[in-house]
Amino acid sequence: MSAANAKSYVLLQIGNRRFALPSTEVSELAPPVRLHQFPHNSPLVSGIIVRRGRLVPVYDVCPLLTGKNSPSHQFYLVARRHFGSASEPAAIPVNGDSELVTADAVQVTSPKYVSGMLMIGEESIEVLDLDSLVAAESHENNRLDYARLNR
Amino acid sequence: MKIAAQDAVKARKGRRPEAVILFTVANQLFAIAAEAVQEIRSTDSLGSALEIEQQEIAKVRHTIERSHRTYYVVNACAHFGLRVVRPTLVLMLRQIRAAILVDKIERMAEISGLYALPHAFTGAERQWYRGLAYVDDQVIPVVNPLGFLTAEEFQRLDGAMAEASRRDLERAVQI
Repeated sequence: MSAANAKSYVLLQIGNRRFALPSTEVSELAPPVRLHQFPHNSPLVSGIIVRRGRLVPVYDVCPLLTGKNSPSHQFYLVARRHFGSASEPAAIPVNGDSELVTADAVQVTSPKYVSGMLMIGEESIEVLDLDSLVAAESHENNRLDYARLNR
Repeated sequence: MKIAAQDAVKARKGRRPEAVILFTVANQLFAIAAEAVQEIRSTDSLGSALEIEQQEIAKVRHTIERSHRTYYVVNACAHFGLRVVRPTLVLMLRQIRAAILVDKIERMAEISGLYALPHAFTGAERQWYRGLAYVDDQVIPVVNPLGFLTAEEFQRLDGAMAEASRRDLERAVQI
């Protein structure tokens, strides 16, 4: 690994664990704004927040990634989710402790929602692939991956 | 990392304002285009509603005759998967033979634009809603009147009604 390959990542805290997202995918860290909810059947989607004049769906990934319910008062990390050639903003609840780091990621293949691993000091931090993590069709597979890895 | 400040939804230019009726179902606020509703009636005035014998479509239990048309009465709580509460009003729809049981009309409002439902929403809500509106700092789903009953559901209900009529006729003949 060389410094030339190092990329910028946002480290975020979800529940009691730290994860990373490529900074190129992250738009902003939003304060604990109002979560608007209405009936729907989409897995993981907990509601909508309003950011910069846009309606941003919120994906509650905490139970999937940590096995625990999300804390009630939380910040939102707004990133981009891709749908073929299109994309839209997507928010995930995090606590307020986020930081920007430059590091090399080691590629990993499993679970599917992890695209790499960062070594920050003694800590290894999973780099999330947001599209894989929240895609409705892979929701069940991700849940099973989580259960298998945490047995 | 910098935390962005909160800001309001910007009004979208060049969109035709639309009058909507804001109504509640199990304490959840919805909007429906005013022009999609032909009439609003109290459930107390529905004494003539007929109970229908069919179990396939649980959200429909009654029919109403209105202007020589049979309207299927859809319980909005059941339709949206909400806790079932006692409805007080029925919205008779203009475009389809359906009447919707709701709790309360909040008020009329004018929306300046409809926001498309984000791609994140992949379930039945894509049929339920035309999109989302932002009214008084609140995101409200704007229901699709055609989403309350599909063509296939109408076919099944019409079939169940025809079968019930046939059985009634047979009973009458036997008597």
